[in-house]
This record gives sequence, C-alpha cells and structure tokens, in this order.
Amino acid sequence: MQTEQLILQRLDTISARLDELQRGRRAVDELFDELTPIAREALATAIARLDALDKQGHFAFVAELVQVGRRVVEGFTPADVRQLGDAIVGILDVVRALTRPEVLQIASEAATAMRDAEHATPMGAFRALRATRDDDVQKGIGLFVDVLRRVGHGVNAAAARDGKALDQKAKLAELLGPRRARMLPAPSRAPTVPTSSVPARKPEERAIDPSAWTRELAETIARANDITLDAPRWALLDAARADFAATKASPNIQRLTSIAGVTTRDLYQLFPKAPARTIAKIAGLPKPAGCL
Amino acid sequence: MDTTDRKVAIICSKGGLDEVYPALILANAARQSGIEALIFFTFWGLDAITDKRVDHLHVNLAGNASSGMPTMIGGLPGMEAFAAHMMKKSMSELELPTVREMLKILVDSGAELYGCELAMKMMKRTKDELVPQVKDVITAGDFFDLSAGAQIIFT
Repeated sequence: MQTEQLILQRLDTISARLDELQRGRRAVDELFDELTPIAREALATAIARLDALDKQGHFAFVAELVQVGRRVVEGFTPADVRQLGDAIVGILDVVRALTRPEVLQIASEAATAMRDAEHATPMGAFRALRATRDDDVQKGIGLFVDVLRRVGHGVNAAAARDGKALDQKAKLAELLGPRRARMLPAPSRAPTVPTSSVPARKPEERAIDPSAWTRELAETIARANDITLDAPRWALLDAARADFAATKASPNIQRLTSIAGVTTRDLYQLFPKAPARTIAKIAGLPKPAGCL
Repeated sequence: MDTTDRKVAIICSKGGLDEVYPALILANAARQSGIEALIFFTFWGLDAITDKRVDHLHVNLAGNASSGMPTMIGGLPGMEAFAAHMMKKSMSELELPTVREMLKILVDSGAELYGCELAMKMMKRTKDELVPQVKDVITAGDFFDLSAGAQIIFT
C-alpha cells in the first residue's frame, strides 16, 4: 500500500509538472505566433539589405579582400611579417616624410610634367647643357645628385654591413686603375710602417735643443759655417727664434722676408748658402719644412 | 755645407701652369739648399718668361689623363682657363707665389734664367718682350757651357 500511495503521489507531481510545461509551451507558441511576422519582416529587410550590399559590390570586395589576404599569407612567411613589424616605424617615417605638404607639392609638379609629357620638346646634348643654366634645373640636378648620393650611401652602408663591399671595391679599383683607387676607400689591411726615403740628417745638421741654445753657441755654429754674426744677422736670428716660439715652425725664406722686413736678395747676401736653413741651424731651430 | 759644388740646370720646355711650376719650384728649392741653379726656357716654356703671357698660363686639360676631366670636355673653350683659375686658387691658398713672383724670387735667390735663341726666333719674340729677370738669350751650345758640371733636369 505504501508503495502504491508513493507512486500515486509521484504521478501527481509529474502531472503538475506536465501542466506547467504545457503552459510554458503554450506561452512559447504564443510568442512564436507573435514573433513570426516580425522575424519575417526583419529577415526580409536583412535580405534586402544584403542584396543591396551585394549589388554595390561589397561582397565581391570582401571576397577579393580575402583573396588578397590569402595571397599575402601565401607570399609572406611569419619571419617576413615579424620583420615588417620591426620596420613599421621606419615605414611610417617614410610615409610621414612623403606626405608633408611641400613634398606632395613637388610630387604634384613632377606629375604635371609627366602628364604633359607629349608637349615636352626633344633636347640634344647642347640644349640640355644650355638648360642647366636655368636656376630651377640646377636646383633639380642638385636634388637628384643629393638623392643619388644618399641612395648610394645607403647601398654602401648596407653592403658594408654584409662585409662584401670592400672586396668588390678592391676588385673595381684594380680594374679602374690607381686614380680611381684613390677615390674609393682603401680596403682595410694591416698598417704598414711608413718608410722615408729622405736621408737622415747628418749629425752636424741636427737641430740642437732650443732651450740649450745660447748666443755663444750661435757664434760657434756661425764660425763653423764661415759666417760672422753682425747686427743684421743677429736681427734675423732673433726674428727666426721669435717666429718659431710663436708658430712652432722654422720660418722659410718667404716667411723670413715678411717677419724680418728684408728682401730675398738680402737674405742670400747675408747667408749666401741656403739662408733659411743656415739661419735655423745657427738659431738652434729645426730645418725649415716645405718646398718654398 | 757639402752642397758647395752642386749645380742644377733645368730645361723648361712647356708652358702650362702645371708644367712651369715644377721647374720654378725645383730651382728655388735648389737655391734654398745652397745649390746653384739655372733655368733654360725653350719652346712653349718661353711663355713663362714672356711679359705678356706669364700671368695667363693655362693648365693643359686635353689629353691630360690626370686632370680627371674627359678630353672632350677639357677641350671645350674656356675649360683650360677655368682649370688654371682653380689651380691658381688652390696655389694661393698654399701661399704659393705667382709665376711672375717666383721668377723674381728666383733671381733674388741667385738663380739664373735664360731664354732659348732658336725658340725665340721661331716664335718671333724679341728680348724686350721677356720679363726683366731673364739674364740672357742663349743657344743650346751656350746652355751646355753654362751647365758644365751641373745635373740637368728636363721638364
């Protein structure tokens, strides 16, 4: 009995739940009944919209865009994309530089010239040469040369980074000969010790320590060179020593004439053999350098 | 000094600015080193001691592989004058005296300048047309007499 009662109780509960469900279903049905026209309306509108979009070519566009995307994906490896990410700042810099109004203005001028290309007059070498007298043309040439220089510099820098540039340049220099080799940077090689072909100075010609110089010593050196030191000669020695103290260089003949107010002829009369050298020697200064 | 008996005789046979200066500078350097020096100007070298031409010497560009300029362009009118102008500019930056000044300095230093008689006749120049620093107009034979014992340099 107990069990029967229990079963009956449960059945009641189930029946109640079913009723509830029935009510809920009815509500849903009602909702659907109400919603259907609205949904149909909405769907019709949506379809119309989509149709309009399709007619305007949006779908074709998107489809194409997908194609493009696929091509991009096929054409680029992830490494490429990473590189692109690294370069994006540089790219934006370029874009910013290119889109400055004055640059755009210049580009527009150039484009105008291109558009009117059929009206351009043919030019021979001489007319081209004459055209270079025009200020604007000169400016343009300057600009082109500057662009070329920068491009070339960039290429060289990039090549140098790869470490192969210098070898190529060395080869080029070999082909072009020594003159061009001078214009190109020399390939790096071990520094060589410069060897001078100038004979070493003889002991008696070596300059004495300027601080150890005395007037008595000057007299001795002069006597050894068959020269008697008198007032004008002393004036020259003093001028030479003063000039050396100021410029750290022994005066040559030209310099002596200007600092001591004497003529070349005077110098050769007072010191007949190699005046500048003799003066430097007696004055305890190094041998004058240079060709003049 | 052991240069007492040394002597150089320089023959200057070309009249380009770049061809005259070496002769003048070598002679001047010789004098500054206590070496006797004489210069014998012949053929186009005479331009360097001709009063009307000494200030207008040009740099030879055509056929000059070192000028860095293609011969065709170097041969255009005015290019040599332009090159001479540029060279004179860089020379004055080095405080290098002009050719006329160099001639004066050389004579003051005791160097001797001579003109070639044959070349003078050929170019129909007279001694009056030469700069006053020229000591004499001599023949090739005279030159060898004067340069006895000298080292001879041809430019």
